[in-house]
Amino acid sequence: MPVQLDHTELSISKEEHILSLLKKKDKNGLQMVFDNYAVNLLNVILRIVKDKTLAEDVLQEALLKIWDNANGYHRSKGSLFTWFVTICRNTAIDKTRTKDFRLVRESRMSPELVTVEKENEDNELEKLYMKQLIDQLPSNLRNLIDLAYFQGYTQKEIANNLDMPLGTVKTRIRRALSSLRSII
Amino acid sequence: MDIQEYISSGVLESYLMGELSEDEMLEVDKLALKHSQIQIEIEKLRASIHSYAEASGNVPDRKIVTAIFDQAPQLNSETRLVAKSQVPLWAVAASVLLLVSIGFNIYFASELNQSQNELDKLIAEKSAIAQEVEATSQKLEYAELRIAHFLNKDNIHVRMEGLTLSPDSYANVFWNKKSNAVFISVDNLPEPPRGHQYQLWAIKEGQPPIDAGIFDHSNVVQKLKVIRGDVLAFAVTLEREGGTPNASVEKTYVKGILKKS
Repeated sequence: MPVQLDHTELSISKEEHILSLLKKKDKNGLQMVFDNYAVNLLNVILRIVKDKTLAEDVLQEALLKIWDNANGYHRSKGSLFTWFVTICRNTAIDKTRTKDFRLVRESRMSPELVTVEKENEDNELEKLYMKQLIDQLPSNLRNLIDLAYFQGYTQKEIANNLDMPLGTVKTRIRRALSSLRSII
Repeated sequence: MDIQEYISSGVLESYLMGELSEDEMLEVDKLALKHSQIQIEIEKLRASIHSYAEASGNVPDRKIVTAIFDQAPQLNSETRLVAKSQVPLWAVAASVLLLVSIGFNIYFASELNQSQNELDKLIAEKSAIAQEVEATSQKLEYAELRIAHFLNKDNIHVRMEGLTLSPDSYANVFWNKKSNAVFISVDNLPEPPRGHQYQLWAIKEGQPPIDAGIFDHSNVVQKLKVIRGDVLAFAVTLEREGGTPNASVEKTYVKGILKKS
């Protein structure tokens, strides 16, 4: 069990650490970006490109830009996360202007968006345990987390699809996350 | 500024979702730098989303990052960026598509149409499920409310049984000894005919029934009037919409006598 550090110090020093690795062109820096932020960044990209495979391509391109431009980052640009999000969004928007985006869009359309990711067959005990924990969450809350954090739906889209007022969607997402935190 | 209020506004959840604009994100960053509580909250949220992602298999493919380094050990990203790009492949695919052209277009159009229909169907199903969940959780809320009334020590509980008009019916009255408020739980009463409503009556010795309030035919435990004094029994009659000052005793559906304590 690691020593509990103050969360702020932890995260700021984590950001500093990642940044210094990136500036030194240490591969571990990029790996840490991936480990800590890829989940959220992929979702940000999905909101724009609406296709999982394309989104992963965009994430890869964005990671390269992060790798290339780390020296140009400064705290005045906000947190590292905000900077990453900006890069991801710009890369995703660029992607939507390319020909392969239009082709993929046309041939794949959105039904894929609705399918929930199949859990992968990883049998590590901890994952299994975590899975049991999250299975305790009511399925409607789990569904909301999936839509909002992994499938790139905007709150407005969720409101439309589930036929719920926008305000309800916001409070439900908040409730979903706090229930999630209470069980993890 | 009330930090707690800010945290509970949901803005941090939106921040991590990617719902905020860049300016709004910078605003969050500024506040997080000033107030460690906000920073802590963001980190905790991020950590739980992460754990959830891992447990549910929603972590992006690790190959995304390893491939960056595998492709070219000497890091010259500009060239790799081009190499990674799919444009040439798609360009080929595009020209093939162009050649095969019209036939395919028609085919795709119908496929698209079908997908759209399927999508619409899925969305409709999803919305139906959401409504069902909503209804179920509402039922649960009502049930919990009923149980709370049953468990409340200050409540006198009277079960009213169906009379000849509707022998299978029953309903429950809770009479709060402290506030004297009367509550009704409509458990099994037939749907009232149009223009009619049920009305609850308190029956005291030697007096005509006392109006205890009209109520809706729903699952909620409803608060009716305040009744004081010695009540012998409670009864429900069917009345014209809006109720009446004088009970139509011949239309009594359920009745329950208070136990002598």
